[in-house]
Amino acid sequence: MASVASVTPAARSASAATTTTSRPSLGKGIRLAVFYLLLLVILLVFVTPYLFSAFAAFKTLPEILAQSPARPPTNPTWDNFKTIFTQYDFGRYLLNTLIVTVILTAGQVTFSMMGAYAFARMEFPGRDGLFWMYLATLMVPNVVTMVPLYVMFAHSGLLNTYWAIFLPYVLGVPASVFLMRQYFMTIPKEVMEAARLDGCSESRILWRIVVPISRPIIITATLLAVVFGWNNFLWPLIVTNSNALQVLPVATANLNSNFNSQWNLVLAGSLVALIPMVILFAIFQKYIVRSISLTGINR
Amino acid sequence: MNAHRPRRSSLRWFSPRPARTLVRVAIAAIALTLLSGCAEWGFGGSGSANGTVTLVYSLWDTHEQVGYQQSINVFEKMHPDIKVDIEEIPYGSYQQKVTAEFITGQAPDLFWVNTPWLGSFVKNGMLTNLTPLIQASHINMAQYYPQLVALHSVGPKIYGLPKDWDTIALYYNKAYFNKLHLAIPANLSWNANGTGSFVTFLKAATTDKSGHNALSPQFNPNQVATYALGVSNDPQSGWGNYTAQAGGKIIPYPYAPVASLTTPQVNVGMSFLADTLTNAHVIVPGALSGPNANGNNLEQMFSQGQVAMWENGDWNTLAVKTSVTFPVGVATLPIGPVGRVSVFNGLIDGLNSHTKYPKQAWELEQWLGSPQSQAILGSGGYVWPAIRSLDPLFLKYWAKNGIDMSAFLTEAHGQVVNFPVSPGVGDALTEVVNDLGPAWLGTEPTHQALKTAQTDANYILRTS
Amino acid sequence: MSVAAATTVIGKHRTTAVTSNPDRRRRVRTAFLFLTPSLIGVVLFLVIPVIFVMVLSLAQWNLLTPIKWVGFSNYANIFRFDGFGHSLLVTAYYVLLNIPVQTVLALGLALLLNSKRTGSALIRVICVLPFLATPVAMGVVWNWFFSPTGMINQFLAHLGITGPAWLSDQATAMPVIAFANIWQYAGYNMLFFLAGLQAIPLSLYEAASIDGGTKIQQFRRVTLPLLRPALMFVLVTGVIGSFQVFDTVYVMTAGGPGNATKVANLNIYNTAFAGFRIGEASAMSVVLFLIILVVAIAQFTYFNRRTTYEIA
Repeated sequence: MASVASVTPAARSASAATTTTSRPSLGKGIRLAVFYLLLLVILLVFVTPYLFSAFAAFKTLPEILAQSPARPPTNPTWDNFKTIFTQYDFGRYLLNTLIVTVILTAGQVTFSMMGAYAFARMEFPGRDGLFWMYLATLMVPNVVTMVPLYVMFAHSGLLNTYWAIFLPYVLGVPASVFLMRQYFMTIPKEVMEAARLDGCSESRILWRIVVPISRPIIITATLLAVVFGWNNFLWPLIVTNSNALQVLPVATANLNSNFNSQWNLVLAGSLVALIPMVILFAIFQKYIVRSISLTGINR
Repeated sequence: MNAHRPRRSSLRWFSPRPARTLVRVAIAAIALTLLSGCAEWGFGGSGSANGTVTLVYSLWDTHEQVGYQQSINVFEKMHPDIKVDIEEIPYGSYQQKVTAEFITGQAPDLFWVNTPWLGSFVKNGMLTNLTPLIQASHINMAQYYPQLVALHSVGPKIYGLPKDWDTIALYYNKAYFNKLHLAIPANLSWNANGTGSFVTFLKAATTDKSGHNALSPQFNPNQVATYALGVSNDPQSGWGNYTAQAGGKIIPYPYAPVASLTTPQVNVGMSFLADTLTNAHVIVPGALSGPNANGNNLEQMFSQGQVAMWENGDWNTLAVKTSVTFPVGVATLPIGPVGRVSVFNGLIDGLNSHTKYPKQAWELEQWLGSPQSQAILGSGGYVWPAIRSLDPLFLKYWAKNGIDMSAFLTEAHGQVVNFPVSPGVGDALTEVVNDLGPAWLGTEPTHQALKTAQTDANYILRTS
Repeated sequence: MSVAAATTVIGKHRTTAVTSNPDRRRRVRTAFLFLTPSLIGVVLFLVIPVIFVMVLSLAQWNLLTPIKWVGFSNYANIFRFDGFGHSLLVTAYYVLLNIPVQTVLALGLALLLNSKRTGSALIRVICVLPFLATPVAMGVVWNWFFSPTGMINQFLAHLGITGPAWLSDQATAMPVIAFANIWQYAGYNMLFFLAGLQAIPLSLYEAASIDGGTKIQQFRRVTLPLLRPALMFVLVTGVIGSFQVFDTVYVMTAGGPGNATKVANLNIYNTAFAGFRIGEASAMSVVLFLIILVVAIAQFTYFNRRTTYEIA
């Protein structure tokens, strides 16, 4: 029985590109130093934007303007966060984003998974043709559907509601379907056939058999959906115009245009959007790192 | 054995049936949304609760909002069953926001309407025709400036009660003119060929860093200390007055689908500024006045003494008062080939054609168009009231505060030309100003820039 | 092979399956049931809008007044009056700034970090952190970093250089936007190269070095060709995404200074949702779609002709 584990990156030598035969230790020492120098630079480049904005969010505006961004706050203050949560409704926006993201993710992953299973392991007329249609729509960039979808939503009276924000994505998207279908295709047919002969309904096969062994890909799809839903900006921007319905990206952009150079407020607002994703990352980082690569290569 | 598989323990908290959890979460969340979608979480907006109706009224000027709040406080006392929520929307996105809100059915019940987008709002059906309501309430329209009534009417229909007006005049630096021992004559004029007492006066009022004025042969145009006049590339507060003084029109008639920028009269007016006065070095060069010569820098230059006379509308009075340290006077515009003409404009409160509370919204509209309300706004120095008899109130306020505003009033009682009204004219004029930039910067002949402006304006007016 | 499997195989060749007909019909019904939600999603939110936008591109409409049908004139007018040609050029400039640098960096990171030395794993993880950042929120952070008195200029001042007003200078505005995107996705793309690198069997390198190949030759002859699938994926998705850049531009420059960063997507957004010119915006969308399609197909063709998937 082919191993599902074969889909994960094989345990090849991780140092394939950098193994060396024995060298004089001076050369090796220099290489090591350069290597760690580069690592340090990379660390700085990727971490300092987060770090410095976090510092600034706890400073007052005069402090931000006067001090170097690299200096941690001497008297950290929660004032900026207090202001944006009490005066500028950020608690509401956080809640909006949570609601929309959860619904979007739950729906998208569930329905994409069902579709993926149907394409991967079920037989029905027109299967291949329909799958090609899904594939074709993968090529459709968001910018093309933006205007007509807006018009469709306007005429259905759905504009400016939570529905508008998640509806285009909640019923499943081709990318997610494709992702999970490829994974399901590596599950041997015999597994399903055996279950069918035992009298299992397709539903039971999917939920009781396939899903538990597809945890990696489902987590991947979930993570990708969460990140997408949380960070989505353009679509919520055009379909909502009440202040009360803003999601965090929209609220951050509006805060920025209203309070342009009040860095303390504006960076605090950004942090509210960034921190949850950082936390998510910290919890799931093994999965994120390992599983994003599952999405691409073996097309 | 795959070394990359995570240990079980790190996932113990994760449900063995993630999909089922997913579905349960989805159902709960959808239920939550259905509930919340209905109630909108109690977000403020138009609404009614125990007999009180709350109207939403939107505007863009923070300072005027203070005056309007005072007026609305009186209104709410008179109508205990109506509450008014003022919503400020920044000017730059005002038209777009109100239109988008109208599309989603969330537009305010009453909202300020400025002439650049009046035509579009009318065409889009966003404004209520007030004529039958006016007749039923026997409102005397003769109390308002007739030009304002005409501006906001389409035939027998009128879309708002006029509530304020503005004209364009010249704020001038009294200290500077005292220093030069120069008094501003009452009736300066200019001719189509670029001569006249106005030009001579401007030359006398322009000084270079060594103290020579532009009439002197030692005048150094590269070392100008103070320009006599600051005019912007703007159809209302800038060249629009001069093209009107030359007898030209931006659009041939209200609601026209074309522009009329290539007529000889418009050319005369525009060229007077962009060529004659610029070449005489008596007005601020386009490059200094702001991007595309839009005049953004002129206010600061005026307060720093680099401009002797700043041409702009009366809505700038408070800013001028607070930012300058010298006494300020106001002079009338010069007299051009067809006379002294100023651009005339005024706002109305548009009544949302789809408001949920037409009765209450009309009460508010009536109030804001009434003498009582306009007296509050006039006497507080916020705006010139559209009711002619109340103008002295505004005059008195500013006289007490050190600025004589009668020049604006003189022009309002003289020849005025309404700001152009047509669907899309706001966007069209934005393009026109962009296209005229090179003429002001001297990189393109004026008539050429006007031709490009005409083509672009025609496209937008035709397709709006 | 198990009996069950054998039965199924035989079953395929009969006109009626071994399992009964109603059972099969039930399974087909279930299949369509499973498919329905995503099918509705695809048809309603992808297929129909694509057709609809092409129809709308032939109209002049602002959603509030009656539609006017104007044939193909929008396609000419968007270039003549709406500056769409300029937007496309600006967008292409962005793609050229962004993709090559990002791809090379991602590959470089993968090569560097494909190591067992301590710290590599941690840094690999750190590289991916930016991927999750909300582009809009990061745009605000970059506004701060690149403001005239912001961190970048402060740092340059220490070196004695006066930094430009990054986002107000026509020459530097677009490169800064490209930088923001590179920062965000270099690590993410690195992962694909990493997976590709790790899939190359050691034996190939051993063979190459036995044949006397230097490290560089090994890289060119072994690594690069076998990375082609990863490279293709990164390039195709990167280019498609870059042509649609919006979030960072909206927050950082709003298309300015002047029109220097008025990318296509921003132009479409302004035309449709600030100007309410649905027809022109739709025509712009269709043109952009065609361009993206052509570029993607060109990339596919180029790579398909030259890619090795199997290593025997």
